[in-house]
Formats: sequence, C-alpha cells, structure tokens
Amino acid sequence: MIGTVANLARWEWFKLRRRWMLWILLAFAILFGQLAVWGSFFSYQNLVSTGGELTVPASLQSQQGRPPRTVSCNDLLSGDPARQPSDLDPSVVDGLRAQCRQQLATQPQRLQRAYENVTLPGSIPLALGTLQTLGLILIAVLTASAIGIDYGAGTLRSVLVQGTGRWPYLGAKLVTLVVLAGLALLAATATIAISSSVAERLVTAPAAASSATWSAAGVAIWKAWLSLIPYITLTAFVTVLARSSAAGMAIGLGYYFAEQILVALLSNFFSWFTTVADYLPVHSIAAWTGGSGFGAPAAPADLAHAGFVLVGYTLALGALAFWTFHRRDVQGATGGG
Amino acid sequence: MSDVAAGELVIETDGLTKRYGDVVAIDHLSLHVPKGGVFGFLGPNGSGKTTTMGVLLGLVQRTSGEARIFGDPVGHAATLRRIGAMVETPTFYPYLSGRANLRYFQGIGHRGTAADIDRLLDLVDLGKRADSKFATYSLGMKQRLGIACALLGDPELVFLDEPTNGLDPAGVVEVRELIRDLGRGGRTIVLSSHLLAETELVCDHVAVLSRGKLIVQGAMKELLHAKDSFWLGTTDDAAALTLLSAVPAVEHVVASDGELVVTAPPARAAEVTRALAEAGIYVTKLVPIRHTLESFFMEITETDPTTGRGLT
Repeated sequence: MIGTVANLARWEWFKLRRRWMLWILLAFAILFGQLAVWGSFFSYQNLVSTGGELTVPASLQSQQGRPPRTVSCNDLLSGDPARQPSDLDPSVVDGLRAQCRQQLATQPQRLQRAYENVTLPGSIPLALGTLQTLGLILIAVLTASAIGIDYGAGTLRSVLVQGTGRWPYLGAKLVTLVVLAGLALLAATATIAISSSVAERLVTAPAAASSATWSAAGVAIWKAWLSLIPYITLTAFVTVLARSSAAGMAIGLGYYFAEQILVALLSNFFSWFTTVADYLPVHSIAAWTGGSGFGAPAAPADLAHAGFVLVGYTLALGALAFWTFHRRDVQGATGGG
Repeated sequence: MSDVAAGELVIETDGLTKRYGDVVAIDHLSLHVPKGGVFGFLGPNGSGKTTTMGVLLGLVQRTSGEARIFGDPVGHAATLRRIGAMVETPTFYPYLSGRANLRYFQGIGHRGTAADIDRLLDLVDLGKRADSKFATYSLGMKQRLGIACALLGDPELVFLDEPTNGLDPAGVVEVRELIRDLGRGGRTIVLSSHLLAETELVCDHVAVLSRGKLIVQGAMKELLHAKDSFWLGTTDDAAALTLLSAVPAVEHVVASDGELVVTAPPARAAEVTRALAEAGIYVTKLVPIRHTLESFFMEITETDPTTGRGLT
C-alpha cells in the first residue's frame, strides 16, 4: 500500500510540475514573504531615522482644513527650530512632544523588536505570519485544481482503469499536496532568509541584544505547515463532493472569509458564540499559528485545544473525502479543469 | 489470481443489474465472453453498453448480480492491471503531450517499459505528434492515443468503446485491421460499437443489448446463419407454399413480392428442391438471402442501431 501510494505520489508530481499554476502559486508565496521582510526593513529604517512617528489628531487637522499628517519624534525632540512643525498650534506640538518623550523610554525595545523582524531568525516567524492567510488561499486553489482536474477532464476514469485503486490514488494526491505545501514553505523561508541576510547588511543593529531564536523559527515553520493540512482536507472533500475544481476553490476560499465574518458578527450578538468559534477550523488555525511566535501568543492550553480541533477536522474531512471518492460512480468529463 | 484456461470465459456476469433511481441501465445481464478473439458488444445508444463496461472496470457500482473477470470479482487492482480500456471519449490531461500522458498512465499502472511508448505511438500513427499537447489533438488523434493507452502493458483483455469515432475512412480501416490483429494470439478484445458493418468485419462473437437487456449472444457466424433463407421461384408458388410448410428442413416459408422466402439451413436446400421436384413443381429461381449484422440487429431489437429508435 505504501509503495503504491509512493509511486502514485511520484507520478502526481510528474503531472503537477508541468502545470503553470503550481509555479505561479509558489511565486505568490515567495512574493508575500519578500513583502513581509522588506516591509519590516523599511519600517525599521523609518523608526531609526524618525525615532517614531506620531499622527496629528485627524479632528484637529480637519478643523483647520488640512490633510492628515505625521510628525517625527526626532524632529520634535531635536530642539532645532528649523525641524519643528511650523504649521501646528504650539499646544498641539507640546502634546506631541510629551508623547514622544514617553515613547523614548521604550525606544530600545521597539528598535530591538523591529530589528528582529528584519533579521534572522526573527524575520522567519514574522514573514510566515504574514504569509499564513495567503498560504491557506493558495493551498485551497492548488488542492481544488489537483483533484478537480480529474473530474473536469474526465481523466479519473482513465486513471482508475489502470488498477491504481481509489484510496491509494486520492491518498497519493493528498500526500503530494501536503509535501508540496511543506516544500513551498521551505522555499519561501529560504528566500526570506536570503533577503533578511541582505537586509541585515543594510541596517545598523540596535544596542539591545536580540531575543529571537532559531528554535522559535523552526517551530513557526512546523506550525505553519501543519496548519495547512486541515485546509487541504477541507478543500479535497468539497472538490470530491462537488466533482469540480471550480466549486472546490469557491467553497474552499469562501469558507475562509465566511467563517471569520460569521464569528465576528455572531460573537458580538451572542457571548456564547465565542465558545463555538473555538471549535471552528479557521479560528483554530489562527489560534494554532498564533502560538508560534508571531501575532498574539496563544496560551499553551489554547494551543493544545486548537491542535485537537484541527486534528479532528483533518481526520473527519479526510475520512469523508475518501468515503465519497470510494463510493461514487465515475462519470465522464464534467468540463473545466 | 485465477488464470483462464483455453476455451474458458474471461468475462462472466450473472443477473448483473444497475439502477439509477427508477431507471434500469442494466437489467439482469448474463454475459459470457470467451477467451481470445474479438467480442462485439452491440446495442443502440443508451442500451447499457458503456454502463456494463463501467461495472466490469470497477468504475460503476452494481446494484445486484455478479460479475467476474478472469474468474475474479471485478474491481480488483491486480485484475485491472491485466486489462486495457478505452471507455467512451478518450480522456487525457490536456496540458501534457501525448507521450507524457502515456508515460503517466504507464507509470501509475506499472505497464511495460519506456520503449513500449514509442512502439505504440508508431502503431497508432501518432509518432510525429507525440510531443504536442493533447489539447491540440483532433478527435481522431485523441481516439488513436486512447487506443495506444489501452494497449500499454500488452493486456490480456482490452475494452474498446466506439474506437473508430472521429476517424477518417482510412483511419477506420487501419483501426479495423489493428483490432483484428489484436484479437489474434489469445488476447480478447471487447469492442463496443453501434457501427454494425464495421463490427461484422472484425468480430468472432457478439452480444446484443437493448434497453439494458441482453437480446442475444453467440458466435457471429452461428447467429447470422441461424435464420438463413433464400428467395425461391417455382412453376407453382401456391402449391409450393403448401408443400414446403410440411417439409421438415424448412423452418418457415412465406410468400413475398410474388416469390417465396424460405427459411432453411443452406445445407438442406437439396431436400427442399427434391420435395418440390417429386411433387412436379420445378424451381425457376433460388437466390440465397445474406443476413447482415445490421439486418439481424434490426430484426431482433426492432430498433435502428444508430439512434436506438424503434422501427415502425
């Protein structure tokens, strides 16, 4: 059985690597990783050069018919009259200066955090956190396409008459997708690492020592990869059920946004719905990856709960996908791909 | 895994039934396909040919009944690896070339070696377009690739569903010759078609389906000659009609267009002429009526073989 699945997975890769879609999705993943790194780079540079920026209260600006603007703390605290904002009321400037003095106390920590986000290994958890949402969307598209093409082109019939067996064939597809998701994460991480190394040479390190660790980076990669698996099984089930890649993509992507809108909406109306939300897949994915070092850290108990929920969804949706795939009569091409 | 000895059946179904809700696609089908040669699986569109193939290939779940291939229940992976099949329109990955598609199906089914692919592509005359994407193929080329795919791994049993669809006349002749060649040497070809003239030229055995039911099956020659008849002209047709009705060799006799149509085995034609001569009635004309598969089909199914519509 394992040998059969391994052989089928090898030939699944033979098919997938010849599709433009795979490489375009990978390019998107890498691009978003790069955006995270270079976004952090410019953010750090800005923090160093301005000492932090404050936004002038919008109400004040609008009262005086001026567009929204920011002021640099370095300018405000420099004491140089030429660098002071001449267009603002002195009392407003005094207030902003006071805020800047408060911020100055935490400036070393802010610089350190910003520096960690630019350089290795701290840039990896941050970039993967940025990539997380896109990763779910990309893997949903790839999963629906890889499984749905056999319905659209009608090739499922040609495949099954070769004696592959239904379970091994679907199993090989899922294994290939899970492995590809991992490899794509590693590829994105590698490009993040290269960019971070370049960025590190372009910035000046702050005085405070970095607290980012390689183990946290490794955990972030591991959790990001695992968080994609429930979404692979969710999209696989929907695609098999609908016998269509288009339906798989639409429902796979739609669910991601629908759940978040639903949770946000119903949690405001019913307090008990926050408990229900703890058992929903996208919410659990957010809780699971939130504990990996990026975003708000989840408590260990939340992490375990999210992990159990995601394992449950993976097993249940995977079992449903296999059962449906096994039971259904195989028809001709449905069109599309 | 069972092996089928010479003279035994490679496909055997007993009471095979497939229902889609209230629609009965296959109705208690008991089919027997002998080993070797070309077996014609005939019937008008919608008669259940493709559904039966689907059940035999494990693509469609049967509602009831039994189906065995090589003596084993259908759907076993090991059994399927001894079978090649092209069911309905050939389906391949549109973004892969013809060669890459064959490599893929060869790889997943462990069917033969890389050298087989070139040989099969040449066999179906696709060598020059082997590296073009499948999406760019004409219907005839797709059909040829489907046949090549069905032959990967030199299978013992090959299902070909309407293999000449989309082929030009020269291509039809080539495929007909190919099918005839494939049926020699112990391999069994199950050929599903509604082109009865084509089927008659290549098949050794046939089964005829209509509305999911098996109408008849057997050796082609036996079926076509079972109702051998001839036009008979005599010096006294009215007396001959009465006389021949009592002759044991004559199964049926009827007056038609001023002549008699006599149904009797050709080997016993002498008995007919002798009986007439002894009664002083002399034969002026005796012309054998050759039954074609098409006429035989229309007679037993009372339907047009192409459209499946009833004959009025």
